[in-house]
Amino acid sequence: MNIIRIISIYRFVRVPIVALVAVVLLPLFNTKAVVAEDIPKTDHGAATMEYQNKELDRLLPSVDVSKAPSSFDDVVWKAFIPEDNSMTAERVALGRKLYFDKRLSADGTVSCATCHDVTRGFTDQLAVSEGIKDQLGRRNAPTTLNVTLLQIVFLDGRSPTLEHQAKQPIINPIEMGMPDGQAAVDAIKGDAEYQAAFKKAYGRKVNYDDIGRAIAAFERTLVFVDSPFRRFLDGDEDAISAEAEEGWELYNEKGRCMTCHPMNPSNPLGTDNRFHNVGVSARHQDFEGLAKQALKAMEEDPSERKLDELALSTDMSELGRFMVTKNRSDIGAFRTPLLLNIGITPPYMHDGTVETLWDVMDHYNKGGEANLFLDGGMEPLALTEEEINSIVAFLFSLTDFRFAEENQRQFERQRAQAKKKRPLRDDDMAFRLKLAFEK
Amino acid sequence: MESNSKNIETKYMDRRAFLKVSTAAMGAAVASGLGPFQTFQTVNVAQGAGSSDKVTPFRFAYISDSHLYEKKINDRFVRALLRAVADVNSLEPQPDFVFYGGDLAQLGQPKELELGAEILKEVKAPVKMMVGEHDWYLDMGEKWRELFGEPVYSWDHKGVHLVTLNSVVERDFWTARGMTAMERMMTVAGLDNGVQSPFSVGERQRAWLEKDLAGYSDDTPLIVFSHSPLYKLYKKWNFWTDDAEEVQAILKRFKRVVVIHGHTHQLLTNRIGNIHFHGMLSTAWPWPYAPEGMPELTIEMSRPDPFNANDGCGDGEVHVQADGLVDKVYNLWNRTPLTVGRAYTASWGKESVPPKPNRASY
Amino acid sequence: MVKEIAMRNESTVAQLMNVLLCAACISVIMMVTGCSEEVEYTTCDGRGKVTVAEETEGQDLADAIMAQWKLENPNRNWVEEEKERHELKPPADNSALLEGQQGEGHTYGNYTEKDLLMWERETEKLVVEGSRIFHSAQLLKSQVSVSCDMCHPHAANTHPETYPKFQTQLGRVALLRDMIHWCIDNPVRGEHLLPDDPRMRALEAYIMAQRSGTMMNYGKH
Repeated sequence: MNIIRIISIYRFVRVPIVALVAVVLLPLFNTKAVVAEDIPKTDHGAATMEYQNKELDRLLPSVDVSKAPSSFDDVVWKAFIPEDNSMTAERVALGRKLYFDKRLSADGTVSCATCHDVTRGFTDQLAVSEGIKDQLGRRNAPTTLNVTLLQIVFLDGRSPTLEHQAKQPIINPIEMGMPDGQAAVDAIKGDAEYQAAFKKAYGRKVNYDDIGRAIAAFERTLVFVDSPFRRFLDGDEDAISAEAEEGWELYNEKGRCMTCHPMNPSNPLGTDNRFHNVGVSARHQDFEGLAKQALKAMEEDPSERKLDELALSTDMSELGRFMVTKNRSDIGAFRTPLLLNIGITPPYMHDGTVETLWDVMDHYNKGGEANLFLDGGMEPLALTEEEINSIVAFLFSLTDFRFAEENQRQFERQRAQAKKKRPLRDDDMAFRLKLAFEK
Repeated sequence: MESNSKNIETKYMDRRAFLKVSTAAMGAAVASGLGPFQTFQTVNVAQGAGSSDKVTPFRFAYISDSHLYEKKINDRFVRALLRAVADVNSLEPQPDFVFYGGDLAQLGQPKELELGAEILKEVKAPVKMMVGEHDWYLDMGEKWRELFGEPVYSWDHKGVHLVTLNSVVERDFWTARGMTAMERMMTVAGLDNGVQSPFSVGERQRAWLEKDLAGYSDDTPLIVFSHSPLYKLYKKWNFWTDDAEEVQAILKRFKRVVVIHGHTHQLLTNRIGNIHFHGMLSTAWPWPYAPEGMPELTIEMSRPDPFNANDGCGDGEVHVQADGLVDKVYNLWNRTPLTVGRAYTASWGKESVPPKPNRASY
Repeated sequence: MVKEIAMRNESTVAQLMNVLLCAACISVIMMVTGCSEEVEYTTCDGRGKVTVAEETEGQDLADAIMAQWKLENPNRNWVEEEKERHELKPPADNSALLEGQQGEGHTYGNYTEKDLLMWERETEKLVVEGSRIFHSAQLLKSQVSVSCDMCHPHAANTHPETYPKFQTQLGRVALLRDMIHWCIDNPVRGEHLLPDDPRMRALEAYIMAQRSGTMMNYGKH
C-alpha cells in the first residue's frame, strides 16, 4: 500500500500567489498534441470506435488486471470485486469489445463509448446525453473513469453494482433502445468471435448477465488517478501550484467540500456515495407537485424498468433518489459525483446545467438553491473571488497526467467563459446578507 | 408601543380585550408586592359549557425553539425558522392552526422577539404562541406580552380543550446575587448552568388551571401545551418541572390528556397514567439525550450529524384523533418523517413501535 | 464618558461590561502620545493605564479597559464560580500515593499531601478554564454567537474516548483535537484554533475530564 502523505490541515503555507495559474504539463506519454477538431467523429458526436480503441491502447498501460492498481488500497479494491466476476484478462478484453460495440443498440448507432467517450473524458461533455434516433435524455452522463470504487451507481443510485448498471442503458428506450436483454444477446450471439470470447471469459454461451459482467470488468481497469495532486500528496512539493495548494486547504476548511467529497487513501474518488439535494433541480421545478405525481405513477407500474424510463424521460427525473427509495428526505437528491478528472468532464451537476467549475463554486458559495428538501449541510460559504479561483485551480489539478492537454484546453475554455458570465453568482446570498427562504 | 396590527392575531382570542384586563391585573399584582408577576386570561364562564361528547379529528402543525439572534449576528437560526415557515405553509391541506412552542428568541432581546414575530407573520394558518425561558428572563415577559399577549390561556377546538401554560417559572435566584437583567438571562440561557432554579408552573398558575378546567367533564380530551416537559426527566438540564406531580394531579381526573412540550429539542415520548407526553423538535439545534431519567417509551432519534446544521432539527404536526389522543409527527429535516402514533402510547409501547436509531448519543 | 462609550455598542455583552465598569468607577484622561494616532486611557485610581489606537471604540475599547482592570483585580474566585455554574467531574483521587511505604530513594515515590493538592488544583484549573471557554461564545470568538454547550451541555455527546476514528466530517482519521477544531470552524464559526493554542488544550482537557471513568474505545462510531 502506498504511503500517502496527507497534508495537515494546520499547515498554513503562505507562498506568494503566482499570477499565472497553470496545470503542470508533463508530457509523459505521447508528445503529439491532438487538437479536438482532428478527431474523426461518428454518430451522436462521438469519436469513432476505432479511434477510441487506439486512444485507449495509448492511455492504458498493460497491467495484471487481477491485482489492485498501485494507487488503490488493495484490501479495499478487492472488496469491490464481486465473487462471480473476478478480474481476468479475458473478461476485460470481452468487456472492452462490448463497450465499443454499436450492435448493442437498436439502430446500431450507439455503444457505451458514444456517451462515455475515451476522447471526451469518458463522458460526452454534453449537458444531457443523446441516444438512438437522436433522442435527448434528462441526465448528464457520469464518467466511467475510476468507477471501480463506487458503492452505488447511477446518479440516483438505481444500480448497486457496475454489473447491474451496464445492462440498463442497453434496454432504455432513449439510450440504446433494445426491447429487452434477449434482443441484445441476439444481436451478437451469431458472431463467432463473441462466442469464443464468452466461452473463454465465463465458460458460458453469450448471455445478457455476462454482458453486464464483462463490461463491468473492463470498466474496473479504467484507473486514472495519477494527477498532479496525487504526486503532491506523495511528496512532490512542486507538483501543484501554490494557488492549488491554497485550494486544497480551503477544500478541507472554509469550502466544506471534504465532507461530501472525501478523498483519502481508501477512497480517493472524492465522493461519499451518498445522496444530497443541493438545489440544482430547484431552479426550475416544483418538487412537491412532482413528488405526488411520481408516487402515483409508481403505484401503477412498480417495475425497475419503468423506474429507469421515468428517470430519464420525464420531469420526474428531477426527483432523483426519491424515485428509488420513495423517502421524502431523498426528494431532489442525487449522488455526489466523483471529483477525480473533474476538469475534463463538464458540464456539471445531474442535468449538466452548470457549465464551468467557477459556476459550480458560485452555486455552492451561495448555499445552493433554497427548496424544502435542501440538504442542511449546504450553507453560504462567503468565499472571496480569490478563494474560488484557488479551489478551481485545485480541482483542475485532480486530472490524470495522461489527459493533461484536454485538461488544459478545458481550463482555458472554462476560464474564458467564466470571465464573460457567471450566471449563478449571488454575492448577497454568499455573504449572508440575504438568506435562503427569505421573501 | 408597537401597533397592534403587526402582532399575531389568533382565531380564538381577542388579544386587545385581554390586554386591557391584564394591565389592571398587573397593576394589582405590583401593588401587592407579588412578583415575578403573571397574569392569566380570566376564566370565561361560557367556556365551561363546551364539554365534548365528540371530537372531530383535526391537524395542527408546530414550530418550536428557534432561539433567534438578530440576523446579522446569526444567519443560521433565522434561515432555519424561515425554512420551518415554508414547510408549514406548503402543507396540503393547511393545518387548523400552527403552534409555536417557545424560545422564539435566544436572549430575550426585543429585536430578537420582533424578528421572530415578523417571520411568523408569514405563516398562512393562525398561530398560537407559547413562551419559553429564553423569551422571558430578560424583561420578565414585558416584550412578549406586547407582541403576543398573555402567555397563559385556553380555548376549545372541535371538541378538545386546549391549554397553554407558562411552565418555565423559576424561583428568584438573581436578586440575592445582585445580577443584572442580562446576567439573569445569560444564566437561564445556559442549559447546563447550575445557578438557575428548576422550572415550575407555580402555585398561582396551578390555581388558574384548576379553575379553568372546572367546567369540563372527565371525558373531555385535553391538550396541554407546556415549554418544560411537565414531568421530571433530568434536573441538571432543566428537563424538569418541579411541581410536576401537583400539575399531574390536577389533570388526573381526565380520561385522556396529551401534553405537547418544547425545550428538549428531541424526539421524546412518555406516558404517566392518563397523560401522554410528546416533545417538539427545535428548528435551531438538537439536544443530546439525558444520561439518566429517560422515559421507557422514548425510542431515541439517531444522533445528528454535526455537518448538517439541520440534522436533528425540524418542525412537525399533531394529528388529533377521535378520542383526543394524538399521532405526533416529527418532520425531521433531511430524514424520513417519523410518527409516534396514538396506538404506541395508548398501548404503553406495545403496538406501532417507531424504528430504533442506529446512531445513539453517547 | 466611558459609560457612554460602552453603551454606544448595543451588544448584550457590552451591557455586561458596562456593569463591571461602573463598579470600577473609571474616568478617562486622554493623552495623545507623540505623532502616532494612539490614545492613552487611565483609570481614575491612577493605577491602570491602557494605550489603544485612536479609532478604537465600543466593544474593543471596553474589552481593553476591562482587561486592564482585571489585571489589577484578578477574580480570585473564578474557579469556584465556574464550578457553581457548570458541574465538573473532579480529577482522580490520588490519596493512595500517600499510603504505605514511600518509594525507593529519598526523592522518587516520595509524595506529600501538599504535592497532591497542588497537582489537583492545577489540573482542575485547566479543566475549569476549558469549561469557561466551552460555555462562552465570546471566548470562542464565535461569529454566530454559538457556544459548544448549545449542542453539548456538560460536554454530553462529545465521546472523546472514541478517538482516533475516521471522522466523516473531515474525510479522514481524526483525533479529538481535530474534531474540536472542525466544530469551532463550522457550527461555531469561531476563531481558528491551532492545536497547541492554550484554549484548544483547555477545551480538550474539559471534554476529556467530563468523560472520566469511561473506557477508551477508539474507532467507535
